[in-house]
Amino acid sequence: MCAALFLVPRLLGGQMAQAPPSLTPRDSALHALNRLAYGPRPGDVTRVAQMGVMKWIDQQLDPRHVDDDSLKEIEKGYQILHESSYDLVGLLEDARKAREERLKRDPASVDQPGDQPPKLRRIAGEFPELAVVRAAYSQRQLQEVMVDFWTNHFNVFAGKGLDRALLPDYIEHVIRPRVLGNFADLLIATAESPAMLFYLDNWQSVAPGSIPPNLVRAEIRARSYGMGNSMRLDSAVARQPKGINENYGRELMELHTLGVDGGYTQADVIAAARIFTGWSIEKPRQDPQFVFNDWAHDYGEKTVLGVRFPGGHGRDEGIKLLKMLAMNPATMHHISWELCQRFVADDPPDGCVDDAVMAWKKTNGDIRAVLTAIFHGPDFWARSNLSGKVKTPLEFVASALRASGAEPDTTFRLAQVVARLGEPLYQHVAPDGYHETQDEWVNSGALLDRMNIAVGLAAGRLPGAIVDLNRVVSPMANHDSLVSTIDRQLLGGAMTPHTRQVILDQIKDVSDSNAARNFAVGMALGGPDFQKQ
Amino acid sequence: MAITRRGFVRAGGVALFSVGLDPLFMDRAAYALSCRPTVLPSNRPVLVCLFQRGAVDGLNMVVPHGDGIYYQERPRIGVPAKDVVDLDGYFGLHPSLAALKPWWDNKSLAAIHAIGSPDATRSHFDAQDYMESGTPGVKITADGWLNRYCQHDQAHQSTAFRSVAFGPELPRILSGSAPALAIGDLKTFGLRVPQNAQGDRVTRAFEALYQGSATGLLASSSEEGFEAARQLKAADPTQYQPEHGAVYPNGRLGHSLLEIAQLIKADIGLQIAFADATGWDTHVNQGASDGQLSARLKELGDGLAAFATDLRERMSNIVVLTMSEFGRTIHENGNSGTDHGHATAMFALGGPVSGGKVLGKWPGLAPEQRYEGRDVAVTTDFRDLFAEVLTRHLGSGDLGSVFPGYTVDPARYIGAIRA
Repeated sequence: MCAALFLVPRLLGGQMAQAPPSLTPRDSALHALNRLAYGPRPGDVTRVAQMGVMKWIDQQLDPRHVDDDSLKEIEKGYQILHESSYDLVGLLEDARKAREERLKRDPASVDQPGDQPPKLRRIAGEFPELAVVRAAYSQRQLQEVMVDFWTNHFNVFAGKGLDRALLPDYIEHVIRPRVLGNFADLLIATAESPAMLFYLDNWQSVAPGSIPPNLVRAEIRARSYGMGNSMRLDSAVARQPKGINENYGRELMELHTLGVDGGYTQADVIAAARIFTGWSIEKPRQDPQFVFNDWAHDYGEKTVLGVRFPGGHGRDEGIKLLKMLAMNPATMHHISWELCQRFVADDPPDGCVDDAVMAWKKTNGDIRAVLTAIFHGPDFWARSNLSGKVKTPLEFVASALRASGAEPDTTFRLAQVVARLGEPLYQHVAPDGYHETQDEWVNSGALLDRMNIAVGLAAGRLPGAIVDLNRVVSPMANHDSLVSTIDRQLLGGAMTPHTRQVILDQIKDVSDSNAARNFAVGMALGGPDFQKQ
Repeated sequence: MAITRRGFVRAGGVALFSVGLDPLFMDRAAYALSCRPTVLPSNRPVLVCLFQRGAVDGLNMVVPHGDGIYYQERPRIGVPAKDVVDLDGYFGLHPSLAALKPWWDNKSLAAIHAIGSPDATRSHFDAQDYMESGTPGVKITADGWLNRYCQHDQAHQSTAFRSVAFGPELPRILSGSAPALAIGDLKTFGLRVPQNAQGDRVTRAFEALYQGSATGLLASSSEEGFEAARQLKAADPTQYQPEHGAVYPNGRLGHSLLEIAQLIKADIGLQIAFADATGWDTHVNQGASDGQLSARLKELGDGLAAFATDLRERMSNIVVLTMSEFGRTIHENGNSGTDHGHATAMFALGGPVSGGKVLGKWPGLAPEQRYEGRDVAVTTDFRDLFAEVLTRHLGSGDLGSVFPGYTVDPARYIGAIRA
């Protein structure tokens, strides 16, 4: 009967108003809070169950109307939000010049970690911290989940040179405003972002033989009037990029759009790289902005995936290619599959992916519509998919903060906790971003560390946060009530009978009610039930 | 050291009656049942694998300085012959690898050139995946070849520390049904609780929680973790001092090598160690004798030299193997860098290595000798080298299971390990 109910919306591509009847309102609420949010805070399951889970989902899909003033208050403590790429590049450049000066004075001197200006260090620590804090404390939870999704999908490694300064602008102004918008818009914005242009080297990809106009002029001057320093001119010419760089063209197809089995060839990669010649960064070391250098562009004819790009076109053919890729069936499938993996199951069911692709086609890649299709599909609500995914380190830490009612302190150390579990944010070197599946995160060392973090948190020792357990579970002499309260308040009711029994056994001879409470909370958060979502 | 695997067995017993279980977990439970503890010889052979992620430029690592084409193709980034550490008149080490020369001279360091994958991919992720799964061109392979070796070669009985990856994540190459550990830092491994009595209580509690939960990877990984923590505590390697004046370079690679040496000397059964070395994807300004690549090679060379110095006589039963997913273009690109290519170079270091030679058939750099007209051609399939190391060094018998779909033929071995 249940299956029959779901057939109708899938065939009509319509929407369901209600969560599936097979789950209780509390089960559905907990599931939605686990997947569309970073887990429930105390009271969230009841609140969402009472208002109706589908209504809550609709609200999350339209975050502009979700009040988020409390997060704005926290964000005021983050200086990084007031620094532009211009400021950050300035800081980096000052540091670079200071290092050069130092090496000139003392060529044998070595770099010390303390050489970095304190402001730069502080800012470097603030930005990953902000990601954890937003995940834990924003009311716009789905928006934050999607920020994490796209940040990994369009990964930029913050440790690569200039990207240290470019990454904050990339996340704030390229990714964040577009996480629920149109995919092609997001794709184009990443393609034109100085952070991506630098990370995947496209800013230095030029048509072979091209020389920037200022060097051409200088050369003419030098030749006609015998002016200028021709040695210096030669070395400036020698330093110029000499040809195309395939890096962006390849990752664009393999990771950002079609997927590795998306049917493109090495010839397509080269043609795409030629199309993006001249997409570069203006004043990279002063005020980095996107620029299209027509002098560096290859104006010849190209063919990508069998489609002819006639000669004589400039920046417009890059946009044409990005739009074409955004609507390619392989892209729709690849990204729908990734979204279903994030929200439904590590090995996503075909039906869910098909629903998402259909929504993509109908709306020309409206991400909100694609998500809506996933959240209304039967696979999302299938009982077999409940608690079926293991949390990533970011999900584990954010959900533990939420469950325990912890508040961030001002030391910016939460991101270090996430890093210790294997997910240093913005530090994934390769362009594929952090993975979503449990085999990436579940290993014995990281698991022991999760237990350590849980025990520390329960004892009020979580670096970067202030924990006051009394606000969520007060110590009580009756252990049955204690464990039930922990289950309700911290685990959203997901505690298995086995966990319950083990905790009761382990605390039965602990007479101090404070110690018993802390021990039980540590086990609940470090135990297997809380690793799952 | 006697090892108990009661956790596995107990969890496995529960698992058999449950539905919808992770097949990987079932494998591990079954595997655990088949294992019987034995006494371990302290001198059993060890294999250390270092993965140079990002595709190292083999031509600037082991430089064909006797070839004019090399310098024609690399006017800006070619390593000048005067800087190269000459090996045989044609090849030489990048100057930043000079620390390795003594091991070349005593014939325990070999370079293998023109080695790689038969698959044409120039994608880092695909190529790394193939090199770790051991099945080029086949993406659906579930486990890594080092893990399959551990599954099939049970002559070397398993301990918690039999195979260890240094880093926060277990890499693909060691993933699979045989237990493997990922260790970020030995010093902080295990459950950290201030008072000892309470520590035991916490450990017991978590063991009980995870043992009965039968939740696939969560159950098996946690059991591996508890057991390893117990053994490490007993071995107490916290006060480690490198010997013979060895100085490990700063950075993650040096730290990983130091901890591998530490575990080997602790004699707790380490057989396979794995570590990553990153930063080889030199598309832009890779440099020649100095620069970006030079700095990475210096860390590699100094790290390996420190490792071999530290372990000295124990190197007689250790092989260190470097690997990288592919090489880079022969021609330098427009940004004084190199793009994704095909064959690359690897090193084998250790007593069992038949060193002092550049092994493998050198295809040459002339245009007609290249792969697809631009890259160094592959003349040695990486599986032939890995298979040779497994059989001749570790004594593996079942290579068909380790490299499914590939017929290993000793006639193709390049002679990296002394027969």
